[in-house]
Amino acid sequence: MKRNDKKKATRRMTVDARKSADQAGPRAGKTGPGAESDEGMSPALQAHIGRHIRAMFDEVAEEPVPDHLLKLLKDLDQSGEK
Amino acid sequence: MPPNVSPGLRDSLVAQIGSLRAFAVSLCGDRERADDLVQETLFKAWNHLDSFKEGTNLKAWLFTILRNTYFSERRKRKREVEDTDGSYAARLSSRPEQHGHMDMKDFQAALAQLPEDQREALILVGAAGFSYEEAAEISDCAVGTIKSRVNRARTRLADMLDLSEPEDDATGSPTPAAKSA
Repeated sequence: MKRNDKKKATRRMTVDARKSADQAGPRAGKTGPGAESDEGMSPALQAHIGRHIRAMFDEVAEEPVPDHLLKLLKDLDQSGEK
Repeated sequence: MPPNVSPGLRDSLVAQIGSLRAFAVSLCGDRERADDLVQETLFKAWNHLDSFKEGTNLKAWLFTILRNTYFSERRKRKREVEDTDGSYAARLSSRPEQHGHMDMKDFQAALAQLPEDQREALILVGAAGFSYEEAAEISDCAVGTIKSRVNRARTRLADMLDLSEPEDDATGSPTPAAKSA
């Protein structure tokens, strides 16, 4: 039982280490000038840009799925059952 | 060869097709090619479903396959035809207009002019709904790299579109979309 607990603790620590490594990301990954240049961009402007990007993306994403793509999955499904 | 695909997983696959198409269009700027990419992606995904752990992030897994497919095909193509960012921009901006909003068209044109890696990062995080961490895995780079690409993409877009701080939003009623891109 104790062994098990130890194992779990180790695993948890690994996960935590990964998390903090991720959090250190922005500084670690700063590759050059300008990397943080828009830290001052206002949330309102960011949201404005975000709305446009999502609108563009959703315009395509919400189109009905073309039949040939649905058919492909159907065909694959059937070939798997044989 | 194909594993036993549960109906649930199959439905989840179908449910991601829309997002995959949108991502594909944003990568290659070409509707027809985008659908070819999605088809290729679904085919590969289906045949490798046994390597997907059910319960983990199917969407991220599919996006990764699509992205890898796109770049490996493009590497092959590049040897045949030089496909510059300019032609991408031309294709995107000649898309049939559906919105009628002038600023939407401008926005598309500006987005098309972004460096490819910045556009991709912005789409993944700002539109497809991935976290920085997920986007980093999909694009196979560091989280910090994704963050700086997204930041630079936003800054460049704001510059190109001559966006200043939206005064209406700032002084008027608070915008519902306070969630940043």
